[in-house]
Amino acid sequence: MLVTKPIAELCALLIDELHGELPSRIFAMLLSKGRSTVPQLSQYTSMTPRQVRHGLAVLQQHNLLFYHVDPGAELAFYEANPDHAYNLVRTGKILEMIDTTFGAPAKDVMQSLLLSGQTRISDLVAAYQEKIEQANKSAPGVGDDGDFGAEPNGADGDSQSTKSGGPLVKSTAHLNTILCRLVEAELIDVVHAKSFESSEDILKTVEKEVMAKYFPGGVKGNKAKAEFQERIAEGLRKVRGESKSLKRKLEQNGTAAKRRRLLSGISAVNGVHDEDMDPALDPRQVIRINYEKCLVDLRNRRLVQYASDMIGETTAYVYGVLLKLLTKDLPRCRSDPVMDAEGDNEESEKGPGSVTTEQILDNLKTSVDLSLGIGKAERRHISSTAAEKIESFPPKKKRFIEETEVDGEASADEDEGDDESSEESDYDSDYKAPATNGTNGVNGTNGTRVKFEEAAAPKERRMDRPSMLRQHLLILAESTQRFVRHCGSNEWTVDFIPVMDSLREAELDSVIERTCGRQGLRLVRILRAKGKLDEKALPNVALMRKPELQQKMLEMQTAGFVSVQEVPRDLKADVKKSFFLWFCDVDRSYNRLLDTSYRTMVHCVQVLEALRQKERDVLETTKRTDVRGREKDTMRKSYYERYSRFLDCERKLFAQVMRVDDLVSVLRDF
Amino acid sequence: MASDGKAEDSVKIQILKDALYDEMRQHGSESRAFSQKDILDLNIIPNGNLELLLQVVQRLCDDKLLVGIANHHAGMAWRWRSKEEAKKYTTLPNDETVMVYSIIDEAGADGIWNRTIKNKLNMHEAVVKNCIKFLESKGYIASMKNVEHPNKKMYIKATLRPSERATGGPWFTEGELDTAFITELEGIVFEYIKTKSAYRGSQPHPGGAAGAGTTKVPKRGAVTAGETTARGTKRSATEISNDDTTTSSPSAAQTKGTSGGGTATSKSRTVFLPMPAGYKHYPTVAEIAKFIHDTGITNNTTLGEADIQQLVDVLTYDGLVEMVRVGRRRGYRVARAVKQDTVPFHKRQKEREAGNGLDLPLVQGAEPLSNGLTEAPCGRCPVFQLCEEGGPVSPSNCVYFLQWLELEDLPKAVAPNVAVQP
Repeated sequence: MLVTKPIAELCALLIDELHGELPSRIFAMLLSKGRSTVPQLSQYTSMTPRQVRHGLAVLQQHNLLFYHVDPGAELAFYEANPDHAYNLVRTGKILEMIDTTFGAPAKDVMQSLLLSGQTRISDLVAAYQEKIEQANKSAPGVGDDGDFGAEPNGADGDSQSTKSGGPLVKSTAHLNTILCRLVEAELIDVVHAKSFESSEDILKTVEKEVMAKYFPGGVKGNKAKAEFQERIAEGLRKVRGESKSLKRKLEQNGTAAKRRRLLSGISAVNGVHDEDMDPALDPRQVIRINYEKCLVDLRNRRLVQYASDMIGETTAYVYGVLLKLLTKDLPRCRSDPVMDAEGDNEESEKGPGSVTTEQILDNLKTSVDLSLGIGKAERRHISSTAAEKIESFPPKKKRFIEETEVDGEASADEDEGDDESSEESDYDSDYKAPATNGTNGVNGTNGTRVKFEEAAAPKERRMDRPSMLRQHLLILAESTQRFVRHCGSNEWTVDFIPVMDSLREAELDSVIERTCGRQGLRLVRILRAKGKLDEKALPNVALMRKPELQQKMLEMQTAGFVSVQEVPRDLKADVKKSFFLWFCDVDRSYNRLLDTSYRTMVHCVQVLEALRQKERDVLETTKRTDVRGREKDTMRKSYYERYSRFLDCERKLFAQVMRVDDLVSVLRDF
Repeated sequence: MASDGKAEDSVKIQILKDALYDEMRQHGSESRAFSQKDILDLNIIPNGNLELLLQVVQRLCDDKLLVGIANHHAGMAWRWRSKEEAKKYTTLPNDETVMVYSIIDEAGADGIWNRTIKNKLNMHEAVVKNCIKFLESKGYIASMKNVEHPNKKMYIKATLRPSERATGGPWFTEGELDTAFITELEGIVFEYIKTKSAYRGSQPHPGGAAGAGTTKVPKRGAVTAGETTARGTKRSATEISNDDTTTSSPSAAQTKGTSGGGTATSKSRTVFLPMPAGYKHYPTVAEIAKFIHDTGITNNTTLGEADIQQLVDVLTYDGLVEMVRVGRRRGYRVARAVKQDTVPFHKRQKEREAGNGLDLPLVQGAEPLSNGLTEAPCGRCPVFQLCEEGGPVSPSNCVYFLQWLELEDLPKAVAPNVAVQP
């Protein structure tokens, strides 16, 4: 991640918000000065080394720091970890996601983990043990999560109120179960020695090792170079795989895991779970949150929302189930260029694979009515060949040829290897028949009066669930955004790169439309479709008056959405005769949008800080121990009103930061 | 004898002249260029006598019945000119006027700039002006406007209509882009595509409960009781009949009263739903053009398919419609069907005129998407670039944020604080 000024500022503000000023100042210094040792830091910050160490310890605890010790060196070098610092902004979102997919107890565990940074399992267990005992002894009430800074939304408050019924985590065995499930979902992984080193350091170490082990005489020739790269990638993969050791161990205990997988989804709702099935986790292991995997799930949510915006809720729900199945084993949104470059043939995690209709059907909630959300058309109005068109390979876009090709190969490989899908092909042929005559009933053309024939109604009801599901999937596949690719008969996959491209474009479009109006959007999209366009040609395509158009273009140029290029006709470069070519550089717009987003987030937090300053007297009152928790009863009415208004603003501002982060993640991380 | 011969010659030439002129008129329109060979092949001139031909053609040219043109490929060639036109030439008082008129004549439907006339003829400006004045008063030429060069004074033969290039096609009226016409037509085309490409159906309110508002995304994870009752049952017969009433009488949908069925499921709303994949009847440009033609909205301008294509393209660029290819058919469908307004646009406009629904934005198509950036004050802030802590404009004294947080009364309280600061 390229750290620009607004990001650095934002990270410092976030750390200040969550962990206090001391770590924040040190972190800001690390970002501006680069890797430093303790004496250097104390010099920069004019703090005593003792203070600096305190701050570093906090940062280290929350994984906001890398360190590196050269062999034989006395002092360690510390370096900021801006990615994790930025991820702090997503805390609320991650918790909400855990809440909806794994239930409130899991969220509680995750929250403790977020608050305490990386934690030894035994410590976590002890903490919960104490809490459970306390709750059992005394009346319920005091949650450990007093004023959690980045409390994102109202939902958080709600769950706290329900919590008063008793502790969410009922026993240490329950805790163990939750941890197991989170580990299996890869949302939690293990901390190991290498996870404190920056990726550059790891790369260097691996390079050195490979050099010493395989190429003592140096790397010579193309073949050796390729092998060298291969070995490095392998080494890096090994390092990366280390953090998954806990998951692997769980998977070796095959039966329990499998059982749970079958039950997953159900158990979250019921809450009752066979706890004895889970193996106890090694209490010495240190665990932390795996943001990479969290991002995958967040991306799924965003895509579902996108589909809901573009097509409809029911279809989006189906899409959500498909994505969930598809990304179960997808460790990260964007593959690493070094590590994942050539390893696709052996690694199953490359490429999203595919999901069969059957699998989706099994995971759909029975309460969802699939007949909703799709129009009806007579069968003769439907071209089933066009709808059922199978595209075995991802679309080849100019820009993404390499990546998509790799993807395609990988998924093709998997299809062959996946014996599950071949088993299910029997079922497939079963519901192909209803699917072809599936869309029946009324005709959809609007001008004509819709008549319900006697036969149509019972027919309507006969359309079975699998074929309705297929209809939703086919709509997704036909959409201009290419949400889904029908990659084999009854097999579905998602090409994330083009879908995300279209989502990014949609985000950019909505910003343009909101700031420059529909005509602005029209012009930008024309330029995007046609490339560079002469100023004189533009009015004809856009059907706009020249002066209006020029004004709009200038407006958008100032906003950074389009640029102009002057091409002189001859050597004299007469301005009157020159061509003026308008074009839009999409990547530049994205970058500019990102920058604006960071700054907006910074501003939000700063506004909050200003509000805090202003309401200082009120806030100080609320910090008193005799007031805390009973604000409404103990505070004067006017004070309490100010306080609640402040809380409102705080909530709004944080929610806003979240919303902006939605955009940032789409543009940068997904 | 010699004079006799001459007289005889002139009679002969006169006859040949008329015969040649008539024959040429038979063989092509005014714009056809006849080369020497073409004329000889008409078999009017006996024995292919070139001298005779020369004389005849010369006489015809003198009478302005033939126009000589220099063709780069075929050399010299001639076009015929109608007798009425020729008469106009002969009645002109002097050579200058003839030259000016002929140059305007040559320019044809594109018209010609008065300065070009001057430059071409190398005449004094006053002379050209006089000639033009005379011609205009006679009604031979008219001034015109060219879209590409709106400031140039152009002239055209009064009998001709300005070419499409000069007028800019059907989208221009009197040299100006007729935006009102275009907007109106866009609206019609959009409504047409919308109703033809999406299914008007009803959908129960998510959440079931009447006051639940519109929660757009189905909440996963926790299923509320209301939701189960609403969606758990598949479409019942009552709902279907309900569907029927709404589709047959759209006005019923507008009033939200689904009283036709008299059923209890009045919580459903009318929405547009996407068509199933592979739908073959998304309207194509040809169909839209036919629709526009049949309705006769554009009674004095004819719109070709290319023009409609241009219009549909603009709608596509606006993000209102999208192209779908089903098989070989290139149809257009409305984008984001579910979010579309089920009440036609013109009805909304009328409602507005009546004073209803003023709070709703009057735009075609669905509400544009929004994201965090466009909602925050910063996304639309005019001084965003200047805004920085410690600067003249900073987040801590931002008025937009205070408005946004609904703390409008506070700016007054803030102002003295800022003033106090050095």
